[in-house]
Amino acid sequence: MAEISEAPDSDSSKLFGSDSKAPQRPDSEPEFDPKLMRKTKPGLKRLFLTFSVLFSFLLGFPFLWKSVEIYRSPLPFREIDSLSTQLRSDTLLFPLHFHALFVGFDSDPDRLRWSILSEITKLTSQNPKCSDNYTLSVTVDLGSRCLRGRTSSPHSSSYQCGSVTGGDFVQNDDVAVDERLASVFGGKNNEYSMAVVKGVSERAVVGKYRHAWMVVGDGSDVEMAVVKVAEVLIKVFINGGREEGLIRNEFMPVGADGKIVLSFNLLNADPHDWVYDWDFEKIDDTLLTPMIEALGPVANISVESQVLYHTPKASFSYWNQKLESYVFSTKDLPFFVNSNEWHLDTSIAAGGRSKILQFAVYVPSAKECPLLLQLPNGEISKTNGFISPMWGGVIVWNPQGCLRDSEFKPSAKNIIPIQDLENMFEVFIGQFRQLFGFKSLNVYTGASGDWNLLPSERGFTEWELDVLSRQHTCFNLHSCATTLGSLSRLVQSLPRMIIKDEIGKQVKLSLEAAKLALSNASSGVYESSAASSSQARSLAEDAFFHPSIMSVSYYSFEHCFAVYSPFFLPVSMHVVLAALRELRRYKQEKAKYLAWKAKANTAT
Amino acid sequence: METFINPKSLFHLLLLPCLLLYSSIAYNSSPVEAAMHTNNWAVLVCTSRFWFNYRHMANTLSLYRTVKRLGIPDERIILMLADDMACNTRNKYPAQVFNNENHRLNLYGDNVEVDYRGYEVTVENFLRVLTGRHETAVPRSKRLLSDEGSHILLYMTGHGGDEFLKFQDSEELQSHDLADAVKQMKEKHRFKELLIMVDTCQAATLFNQLQSPGVLAIGSSMKGENSYSHHLDSDVGVSVVDRFTYYTLAFFERLNIYDNASLSSLFSSYNPSLLMSTAYYRKDLYKRRLEEVPVTNFFGSVMETIHTDAAYKALSRRNSGRFEDEMSLDQSVHHIERRMLIKVNDGYEIHDINPEGEEGASKCPWSTFRNKFQKAENVDSLVNYGLVAMIPLLVISTWLVQ
Repeated sequence: MAEISEAPDSDSSKLFGSDSKAPQRPDSEPEFDPKLMRKTKPGLKRLFLTFSVLFSFLLGFPFLWKSVEIYRSPLPFREIDSLSTQLRSDTLLFPLHFHALFVGFDSDPDRLRWSILSEITKLTSQNPKCSDNYTLSVTVDLGSRCLRGRTSSPHSSSYQCGSVTGGDFVQNDDVAVDERLASVFGGKNNEYSMAVVKGVSERAVVGKYRHAWMVVGDGSDVEMAVVKVAEVLIKVFINGGREEGLIRNEFMPVGADGKIVLSFNLLNADPHDWVYDWDFEKIDDTLLTPMIEALGPVANISVESQVLYHTPKASFSYWNQKLESYVFSTKDLPFFVNSNEWHLDTSIAAGGRSKILQFAVYVPSAKECPLLLQLPNGEISKTNGFISPMWGGVIVWNPQGCLRDSEFKPSAKNIIPIQDLENMFEVFIGQFRQLFGFKSLNVYTGASGDWNLLPSERGFTEWELDVLSRQHTCFNLHSCATTLGSLSRLVQSLPRMIIKDEIGKQVKLSLEAAKLALSNASSGVYESSAASSSQARSLAEDAFFHPSIMSVSYYSFEHCFAVYSPFFLPVSMHVVLAALRELRRYKQEKAKYLAWKAKANTAT
Repeated sequence: METFINPKSLFHLLLLPCLLLYSSIAYNSSPVEAAMHTNNWAVLVCTSRFWFNYRHMANTLSLYRTVKRLGIPDERIILMLADDMACNTRNKYPAQVFNNENHRLNLYGDNVEVDYRGYEVTVENFLRVLTGRHETAVPRSKRLLSDEGSHILLYMTGHGGDEFLKFQDSEELQSHDLADAVKQMKEKHRFKELLIMVDTCQAATLFNQLQSPGVLAIGSSMKGENSYSHHLDSDVGVSVVDRFTYYTLAFFERLNIYDNASLSSLFSSYNPSLLMSTAYYRKDLYKRRLEEVPVTNFFGSVMETIHTDAAYKALSRRNSGRFEDEMSLDQSVHHIERRMLIKVNDGYEIHDINPEGEEGASKCPWSTFRNKFQKAENVDSLVNYGLVAMIPLLVISTWLVQ
């Protein structure tokens, strides 16, 4: 409207302007061009309105960002890395103290110590993962006085001079000698003692506790004794009777949660011939419970048993006339377990990450009775049993008088006689030891002679338990460190995956248990370090195998974008555009006003 | 530039090369002695459902039967099937599944243990089986409990395409998901060697992204090729077996558990003209030579056995054996008494729980009802307030319009 009304004014001014004066226009008012000027100051209300909407959006943006943030429990990545580097760089050192006692020898203890140490260094192999920090002290007992060698260990030996004499070893009762020496030496946690005595009959025995003794003849020299002493200290007390230092992984049948389930099965191959039952609870209380208690620090063991019927074996046997029995050979052993018919893995007590070890007693049918195992060298096995590492063991038990089966009623339940059951369970304990990497024989055949290993009622002697504790601590700590390292790598490679609080807690607890295990190990308390290391490993496995860490179920960035952009993109576009437009308009109006003001000022 | 270098990103920048360095050191210096081969596992997955995919279920069941015959027990087989063929209303032979038109062999006859059936066969469950990340309540029979000495056979069949495999017509397994799962399995030492057999269209693309060592993979066709069914059973009305699986089974029917045919003979038995596709295998990640590996390393069951030399005789027990008998009788009597006492206590406890439970149950409905009522009151009041607040708005807007 303004433009049209202006035109006639300007026209009229042009019409009348040239010869007469300007019609009723005051001279003091300057030219007013509404397109370029305005008389009043532009208001701020519109600007304020649009900018308030824009600012409210900007103000709400941090809250929105926080609400779509992925919850990730903060994992202690630095501590995980430091645990791994600590385990790798300074290898786990177990402190051990050896004490060698020479009775009836006239030698210098320091020279003996030096020669034993040189023999030991010849035998120790380099073990990258875990090694042992041993100290050695030598005492020579001359009856009237004792010569003690220089020791590098801070604690002194508690050996009373004259407590061990040659007369103690005269009788051939190893058990009594063992008890006597136990009362002398004490047998504290990481001290191993060795007694070398001059006597009549040669004998070399390793006791049930933490000592061994050797009776040498009068004519033998000290050097031979020294070699044997070094061998028993390294090969038996440290390595547990194995050649290599570290137990291989297939001889560590402990589950990831530190539990083992022993499943005992009595398999009746053909119930039409005979049916056997056993009195398991009695044997469990007397033979198995002490062993399970002894292995408490290493693994949490529970026991189950069942009796199965119609369980034939899968391999074949042939009749041997000379032995008057059916014979199967070691070549058939891999095919003996008939997994189609032997439904052994029916345990309901075992959790998902426990290890189940199956021990099966196979009672053959009348068509294959008696069934004997023939070894490759032609001998018949004394135990009729075999193991498969990480699976368990099988024993074949032939019922008595199976050739004269007229005495047995087929449908009646026969109980396995208690003596046979005890023999069977002794073989089972031997197999259990084999599954842990020890031998079931009671003899250690070393390079310099044989040693008699005394058996213990608990299935494992004290020094064997120490070996197990050390090896399992080493293995568990390394496994825990690698698991936590894998977890941290995985978590860092998926930055948009939700990490629950539970995982963070488990990782923290695992690291604490690992630290405790390390400190216990370096101070020599093996049992608690084995228990803490097993706990550390199980917590690390729980964290790594937490069911929420699934790569299919995390929010990718595309998902977030696709959900929020259909609303926010158009709205933000409009809001921003409106704000910009208002700003531009305000600036234009302000410029117009300033132009009018300038003109008004110049006019006056 | 300063705005980009804040402390957090600096820390990350420093951490990344440290991690790389550390991981390279870890891979170089980890003393991985070759673990002994202790057992064999089989994971057999049929990813299709519906009647017209009969041949995929027949494929999987045929391989299941083969693997069981050669010695792998049910406890070491994870079988994932949609399992809707045998009792399908369109099945002319109810409860029977055949893989040949001569109907000589009923695959669904006896002793078939399906671990994941029906709608449980999902990509998530499959990846959980492979990586081992189950909920705590999942039973042992549904878990892959392999260790570092295990050889695993992974067989998958169904409909697939370029770098994916279709699961139950509703989701997909991509090749990078599979490669990721295998990488995590290797990190956690869940297998010693892995053989992947895939019988789908363009099967060889599914293992394009694998990087982990110790994996051998064979697919029934290459990229751009289809895998075809072998023959149509006019009696049942659908195709009953695929070509790749048919020729695999033909190879294994000639074997028993004592044989030692090698993997290279298996792989070279596939004739492209008979298969109408190229069976492609990938052995760059597998260190051993295929001529030396017997097929029973994956398809059969080999137990490493060690003979037990002697019984562990604790000498002191010999002497006190007789005492043990008498004492153990007493102990067993005590034991039985103890157990009876425990049972009696359990009975009392059970009795105690019941009345509480009943009371609780009787209380529960009332209390829950009251809670709900209260909550309902709250909701009602909220709704009322909202309605009341809206009325002035309504009035103002009508006044403005007018």
